[in-house]
Amino acid sequence: MLVDFELIKRAQKGDSAAFNEIVLAYRKRILGTIARLIARPEDVEDVAQEVFLRLYFSLDQLRTAEVFEPWLHRLTVNAAYDYLRKQRRRQEFRMSDLSEQQVMLADAAAGGKVEHEEQYRKKIRESVQSLLGAVSEADRILLMLKEVEGLSLKELEKVYKVNENALKVRLFRARQRVLKAYGSAEAREGTGQSR
Amino acid sequence: MNSMRGNVDDRLDALLQAYRDACPTPEPSANFMPNLWQRIESRQSFTFSFQRMANAFVTAAVALSIVLGVYMSIPRSNPSSYSQSYLEALADANTVDTPDYVAPVRLELSDPGR
Repeated sequence: MLVDFELIKRAQKGDSAAFNEIVLAYRKRILGTIARLIARPEDVEDVAQEVFLRLYFSLDQLRTAEVFEPWLHRLTVNAAYDYLRKQRRRQEFRMSDLSEQQVMLADAAAGGKVEHEEQYRKKIRESVQSLLGAVSEADRILLMLKEVEGLSLKELEKVYKVNENALKVRLFRARQRVLKAYGSAEAREGTGQSR
Repeated sequence: MNSMRGNVDDRLDALLQAYRDACPTPEPSANFMPNLWQRIESRQSFTFSFQRMANAFVTAAVALSIVLGVYMSIPRSNPSSYSQSYLEALADANTVDTPDYVAPVRLELSDPGR
């Protein structure tokens, strides 16, 4: 745990400085998790602020120190989930946004501004995001927390308040779908290259 | 077949690991904390005004209930209108003295012998 429970207690009593300290302690970790969950760098900070906003208004419900981190993780998961659902609703807007981004990227590449490394990273991000389209937002987040964030099943159990076996089943099914999508993508790529 | 599957599994793991490296943790901007507090304050003011509205509504509802309760408990100022029961009122309206609309028929039979 990055902060003392005493600090949390002070924040619960309305001490703004204590709340600031909690935010500063967890801010980077939350930003990193959200960056990997939503993969839209421009919106990461906005979603992270939403997490801390929810934390501020629900802090008085916290009773013990042990549940603080799983609880903060749950708030992060919920905020990322809400964001991803909104994004799905705005898909048409995103499509036009993406094409604009592609035009900008092409322009920049033509001018030699985009480094090769960043292009590679972008390609990886896009590939994984495309694969994750094979599962629901909720399963996508669960899979990310397990496979990318490296949370153990015990930790996930605390975050989701669901028993380990149910989580294993959900994870297995989600991974199978992603594997299937990955296999298909590889087959398509192979066919494309052989032509 | 299994080894192929194993390969796909491994490649997916490697891709996810590469994804982790491709999503670096962003540095928070200088406006992170001011924006956060701004959002907290605007939410608080919204909640506060909503609470005030809700309180005003509850107070008005309680006051109206009390007024209605008092009004219903006060005896009516014109008690004569309901002083009789329905049957009494009906009986009063149809007393024996009241002439019948249909008078008894009197037959005057003339004697044919006279």
